[in-house]
Amino acid sequence: MYDQIGIWVAAFFTLAIYSFLYKENPVYRFAEHAVVGISLGYSMVYVYNTVLEPRLLEPLFVRGQIALLPVLLLGLLYITRFFRSVSWLSRYPIAVVFGMAMGLSFPRTMLSMVLRQAEATVIPIYQSGYAWHDVLGSLVIIIGTLTALIYFFFSKPHKGWFFGTGSRIGIWIIMIAFGATFGFTVMGRISLLIGRVQFLLTDWLHVIQ
Amino acid sequence: MTIWDRLFNIDRRWIFLLMGVVTVVPFFFKMGLPVITTEEVEGIYNHVDSLDHDNAVMIGFDYQPGTMAENQPMSEAVMRHCFARKIPVFITAFWPLGNGLAEQAITTLTDPAKPGTFQRVRYNEWREYDYGDEELPDRVTHAELVELWERDHELREDAMGWVFEGVDYVLLGYAPLFHIVLLGMGRSITSQYPSDLYGNPTEDMPIVKRNKSAREVDMGLTVSGSSTVLSWLTYARESYGMPIAFGVTAVSATDYLVYIQSGQILGQMGGLRGAAEYEVMLERDDYAVEMGRAFMGMDVQSIVHVLIVILVVLGNIAYFAGGYHRKGRRLKAGR
Amino acid sequence: MKRTIPLLIVMVGGIMMMIQFFIPHQISQAIFGLYTDYVPVISGFALILGVGSLTRVHYHKVRRRADNWQYSLLVIVTLYLMPVFGIIIPASIGGQAEGPSVFHFLYNYVQIPIQSTMFSLLAFYIASAAFRAFRARSAMATVLMLAAIIVMMGQVPIGDFLGKWFPATGLWILRFPNLAGKRAIQLGVGFGILATNLKIIFGVERNWLGGAGK
Repeated sequence: MYDQIGIWVAAFFTLAIYSFLYKENPVYRFAEHAVVGISLGYSMVYVYNTVLEPRLLEPLFVRGQIALLPVLLLGLLYITRFFRSVSWLSRYPIAVVFGMAMGLSFPRTMLSMVLRQAEATVIPIYQSGYAWHDVLGSLVIIIGTLTALIYFFFSKPHKGWFFGTGSRIGIWIIMIAFGATFGFTVMGRISLLIGRVQFLLTDWLHVIQ
Repeated sequence: MTIWDRLFNIDRRWIFLLMGVVTVVPFFFKMGLPVITTEEVEGIYNHVDSLDHDNAVMIGFDYQPGTMAENQPMSEAVMRHCFARKIPVFITAFWPLGNGLAEQAITTLTDPAKPGTFQRVRYNEWREYDYGDEELPDRVTHAELVELWERDHELREDAMGWVFEGVDYVLLGYAPLFHIVLLGMGRSITSQYPSDLYGNPTEDMPIVKRNKSAREVDMGLTVSGSSTVLSWLTYARESYGMPIAFGVTAVSATDYLVYIQSGQILGQMGGLRGAAEYEVMLERDDYAVEMGRAFMGMDVQSIVHVLIVILVVLGNIAYFAGGYHRKGRRLKAGR
Repeated sequence: MKRTIPLLIVMVGGIMMMIQFFIPHQISQAIFGLYTDYVPVISGFALILGVGSLTRVHYHKVRRRADNWQYSLLVIVTLYLMPVFGIIIPASIGGQAEGPSVFHFLYNYVQIPIQSTMFSLLAFYIASAAFRAFRARSAMATVLMLAAIIVMMGQVPIGDFLGKWFPATGLWILRFPNLAGKRAIQLGVGFGILATNLKIIFGVERNWLGGAGK
């Protein structure tokens, strides 16, 4: 019974959102505003239930772990943001969280997104067992990455055989990449629609298995 | 007004209607076109298939309901694979809304109304059960617990096996600043999650006792609709070498293939197609009795792609035939 | 006190954590441990900022009886209704997502359908855009369009049915030229993150301080 009511409510809201395709209307607006409140309210519950309560409030106030007091104070300093005269105090928790996070990010990002990526561009063009399209592919990876990087390099004018030709090849590579992304974007959006149609036809109307 | 003008000035709601009809109708005519698997998805599948109860997998529900049509089948497929192979699963979430999606995935995989699902036993249920003379081992394994449990309980006939909360999976859920949480789990899981989503202490759970930190986890799958996947790469792989796999929406799938070629990730499921490939392999190896929703959607996906291509071609024919490409001939904006 | 000390905390903390990666000394490891244990908890409080701002904006709309103030009231009601059912009446959450509970009902049967349907609306707009805006105006646009069509058809089973070259060419585009273009972009993003890290650590980028109390 509970599930049945739920599915009907869900179907109502699904159709209410689709009604927007015809014309904007109050039901759509109702739904739009309801999600804002629900999602933040939902987050509040879990941040309290699974983070603040078991990791801070319970150990501090029930088990008396006084060492957690600075954590509580730092956390509460966020609230000073709402009071203009003392809002500068909210910079302290941000500074503590932010500074070290930046330091932690630097070497790891250097490894994951720069060094290993650069390394993976220096690849053999031919190895035994490679078909012609693999050889062509390896060449495209090496030359394509380099030229696309040249295209994004704006400190030098795109002139001459290196920067000029490089950036001209680079833009073609980028266009193909954007084409692939467009194809996938279409696919993704359709998948989301398929998901909702599946819900309506299967869970709500039971017309398909 | 030429025919081309009229075509371009058509109320766009007719296109919406056409799109709606083309998405609904193919559901009633199953074609069951085969989905061929690619090495991007096989990389994940084969890795999971090489693991067992002595290993562990972490699945991040790092998406929100907006992209669940694409992401949920991926999480469910890999979780099903893990449950079937008795691989312990840690479940986390990058956003609070991921908690509910993770709960939903577990509920779907343990739904008694569906054949080929698992029979779930909640943590308190088996923990507080009276086993008579037998002592419950501290780090009880799945096989040991099944032996004890089946003395008084019978597995549902059409079920694929038992799933014990706290042994086979634990729902850790969301914690703020998740990339730091990933780093912290490299030291110990209990430091980041003293309790699970339901308030059960994690330090008592056999799954946590057997895998104390994320360093002991043999694969981290991040399923996401945004760039949060990179956090796993940067903070889990580069910090303590956790093998990573991506499950991403189609929109971002083309961006992350670079990490497969560089060998930084095991593989990637991209969009509904990626999930469908995983479902095909699950069914092939008898981990599932029927195809999942992603595969079911692929027929429709095919037809709608054809429609989109037709619309692009038709739009271009009209554009050139109507002479809109010439200077001075402007296209009026349609509704 | 208002600016210098926060900037100093950022700089010292940032440099220390960078060094910690290369020289995992006992002291830096201990600080790293404290940081990872407690910073997620401190960040939990940041949610109060979100809740506070949202409440303030919508409260003012309701009080002023601004246009469509009723919707603002709805935001406030749903925002505070969730914690009432989730925290104050804990039986509602109780660890049983599948059981009757207003908290889970609102999430499963209101939040999920609305949010996922909103995202799916884009499918309709993309169909309309495909017809009206996706033109082969130039050689480059033609290449983009062809790549899109081949990849799109190569990703669905019907592409395979129409001709093996569809998926084969589609995958080749994805794995090579697409990869080259995306690698340049990812490298750019990587350098961008590194530059931001350094700019914040060394106080060049100070937007995070906000405007108050200069």
